[in-house]
Amino acid sequence: MSVASPPRIAVLPSAVADQIAAGEVVERPSSVVKELIENALDAGASSVDVAIEDGGRQTIRVSDDGCGMSPDDAVLALERHATSKIRSAADLVGVRSFGFRGEALAAMCSVSHLELETAPDDGAGTLVRAAGGAILDVSPIARRRGTTVRISRLFYNAPARLKFLRGSRSEWRAIVEVIGSMALTRRDVRVSVTNDGKPMLSLPASATLRERLAAIYGGAFAGRLLDVDDVIGTTHVAGLVERPSDVGTATRRAFLSVNGRAVRDTGIVRAAEAAYRSTIPAGVRPTIFLDVTVAADAVDVNVHPAKAEVRFRDRWPLERAIENAVARALGTFDAGATLGRSHWTFVPPSPPPQALAPVDVEALHPDGPDLEGLFEISNNDTLEPPPSPAAPASAPPPAPTTDVPPLTQLHRTYMLFEHEQGVVLIDQHSAHERVLYERFMGTLERGEAPAQRLLFPMTLHLGPAESEAFERDRELFERLGFEIDGFGGHTLIVRAVPMPHPRFDPERCVRETLAALTGDRDAGVHARHERLAATVACKAAIKGGDLLSPGEMRALYIALRDTKLPAHDVHGRATIVQLTWDEIDRRFGRR
Amino acid sequence: MRFTISREKLQEGLAAVTASIPAKTTLPVLANILVEATEKGIRLSGTDLDIAVTTEVAADVETTGAITIPAKKLSEIARELPPAPVRIAAVGEQRITLDCGRSHFKILGLPRDEFPAFPNVKFNESWRIRSGDLIKLISHTSFAVSTEESRPILNGVLWELRPEMMRMVATNGHRLAKMEMPIKSTGAPASDMIVPPKALEQIRRLFPEDEELEIAKGENHLGFRSPFTAVFTRLIEGPYPPYEQVIPKDNNRVAIADRTALTSALRRMTIIASDQTHRIRMSFNAGMLKFSVQTPDLGEANDELAVRYTGDPLDIGFNANYLLEVLRYIPTDEVRLTFKAPERAATLEPEGWADPASYLCLVMPLRLLD
Repeated sequence: MSVASPPRIAVLPSAVADQIAAGEVVERPSSVVKELIENALDAGASSVDVAIEDGGRQTIRVSDDGCGMSPDDAVLALERHATSKIRSAADLVGVRSFGFRGEALAAMCSVSHLELETAPDDGAGTLVRAAGGAILDVSPIARRRGTTVRISRLFYNAPARLKFLRGSRSEWRAIVEVIGSMALTRRDVRVSVTNDGKPMLSLPASATLRERLAAIYGGAFAGRLLDVDDVIGTTHVAGLVERPSDVGTATRRAFLSVNGRAVRDTGIVRAAEAAYRSTIPAGVRPTIFLDVTVAADAVDVNVHPAKAEVRFRDRWPLERAIENAVARALGTFDAGATLGRSHWTFVPPSPPPQALAPVDVEALHPDGPDLEGLFEISNNDTLEPPPSPAAPASAPPPAPTTDVPPLTQLHRTYMLFEHEQGVVLIDQHSAHERVLYERFMGTLERGEAPAQRLLFPMTLHLGPAESEAFERDRELFERLGFEIDGFGGHTLIVRAVPMPHPRFDPERCVRETLAALTGDRDAGVHARHERLAATVACKAAIKGGDLLSPGEMRALYIALRDTKLPAHDVHGRATIVQLTWDEIDRRFGRR
Repeated sequence: MRFTISREKLQEGLAAVTASIPAKTTLPVLANILVEATEKGIRLSGTDLDIAVTTEVAADVETTGAITIPAKKLSEIARELPPAPVRIAAVGEQRITLDCGRSHFKILGLPRDEFPAFPNVKFNESWRIRSGDLIKLISHTSFAVSTEESRPILNGVLWELRPEMMRMVATNGHRLAKMEMPIKSTGAPASDMIVPPKALEQIRRLFPEDEELEIAKGENHLGFRSPFTAVFTRLIEGPYPPYEQVIPKDNNRVAIADRTALTSALRRMTIIASDQTHRIRMSFNAGMLKFSVQTPDLGEANDELAVRYTGDPLDIGFNANYLLEVLRYIPTDEVRLTFKAPERAATLEPEGWADPASYLCLVMPLRLLD
């Protein structure tokens, strides 16, 4: 057995080192596209054209109308760690440009044929040709202001990489992802893309996220999304999210930008999704597009070479802020299901985003723009009478300070009213369920339940599974206001009951709740609370088919408006459906 | 059918009957009034199938006959007619003409056969009760019936008729009202009936206080009759809950309070009490009743009232609306409240009531949290 002499350690030649480093930045054509577009944006481009051939395996060309470079800079730009974006390590804190590491061009150059055309002004420009990291020639040319970088034969000298490239369609899809995300981040920039010479995407500069989304995915899609706009502390959360009633009906998309930089962050996405809890069925995920703006020094973007991830100095408050902001958007009556396309003009136009500006806390509205919800949400809660569900006829009418539109009951199931944007239908059972759910959740958490003693205690005979369900949740039932004695075997005596509304039927409620909870083994305390509150709310709520008096409808309307998530019931169904004038007009052939 | 009737008599008859006509119905003929012309005069009847009201008014009948006419339209016409005799004549089975002065109407109706038959109640074995006594029981108890549909028994008023006395009881399971009074023996057998409050309301509305009513029970109907007017109602079937058992006998804490002052204090407290539960706290001490109420997100309130109280101090919670409601019906200036414990029934009775009747209300407490 012969022992080979151990290999000697040697410093790698710079070409090899560059290729290794290139692997971190440039892994596939889409990363080239990303780096080049970022450079273009950092150069202050207002228009970016991308041309792709063969999924980027053949050629990638990105042109911009940015500031361009002088001949000397053009040559220097291909060197490693050459950058105009930072000067010292201190600049890394709060860096606002997309790039700053000075690696991208050098890395790309080392694994491809590269042509760089650039001109700081219209007229005299420079053409640099390079291959495999070596500059082949530099010549003067005439061109418009801006820079065009053309990368061809990517990975021609890195067979290991080349082997791992996917088919051209797959690479093209990855490129589209990257361009889409850049286009959403910088909505003020015109973007056009061609693939094998065919125009694929042409996005004009847009003032709002909604306009940009409409250009990418279509107006119908963009029109259905809900506005999020909220400032909590130094965090500004803006964007668009899907209506809960639409969740699961189309491809789920998630886009997140932090301080104008597209990032992936499961924590933030999870926080946004948490706001949907109890409004959508488990297992489906909502589409979200969020711009998060935090103080520039609260976030570290220098974590990952591709900068797809960022690190926050303080993650918890941020996630809570995001959950609150999204919940607030879902909490408007607007968040209900719509039939037909909703009005665009409904959304107040917002100024073009200044994606790279740091947060100016003073300038941010503490309340966000007025969403013009169906309910003019007043922050002045003290002026409003407390919600009174289905007030008995003898109760004094609610104070006239609240504007409740005239309500009509349809089919003994829905309440209908007219609104500026159309006709709104509220499902009375779902609505009451939501009202009671939030009240019961509060009750479970505070344990503050009024219990009305019964003159004639009710006797319930239960099956074994139901008694087991009762024993498990006994304490929670008591917190809700039931006083229940076991009476040996499977017999219960109910001595006191809560009185959530005058039509409440406690016997049926207990019986049906226990039947529904049978076999339920949710372990977490919060989950059990939610489950019980939802079940009791469902069973205690007025049903479809119950005739409501005008007073009861008023009270329900007010109570629903005061809930956190009025537009959705606890099963994820819609509580509110809007039929827009647009849709009605269309059906009558008026437009 | 042809008759002439004074405008006033027609209005009077219609006013008695139209209240029994259902506002919405699936059976078209129920929206109509049955008009029968007999030798004695005309008889007007209406029903919603639960309650039927029929009344006779004097008229000059030329030919007898019967027809049904839309109740609402006929009442509206009667209200607007000029002061002159009204001539009504049937034209065929389903149309009438109505003439009054220079006014002329033709109204479409429905044949008499479509009108439902009246419940079969025989008045040969009947109780005779002064309507004033009946109305007194009704107005002190029927407010307490349940409006919730899950226990139909509690939607009615229990009426116990005994040879020497009669009693009415109503409850919704949270509070109860009971009144009884002696009556003269009438010979009819003792009976317990559960009567819909809607029917009792008609009794109160239709019969003057000093009329002697004949009351008889059919299969599952009850009939009330005065010489001209009769009311029939379906009875609610089933055993009434054993209310005697829940009326406390050993309440050993007693407070006597001024009814008006207690009412005012409670009304002040309800302003701050939760809209949902109306819960207030009452603390009884020797000579003093303290009220307090705290509602999250709203505020709190306190009040005091001098009362005559005997027994150990007591803290108890109530739905203030239930107390206020009961106090409205207490016929005396002072009210006597009795208690046992914070989770046991409280009673309210008139204090110093010189009346042959006796009245007791019972209110179940609300749980207090400390």
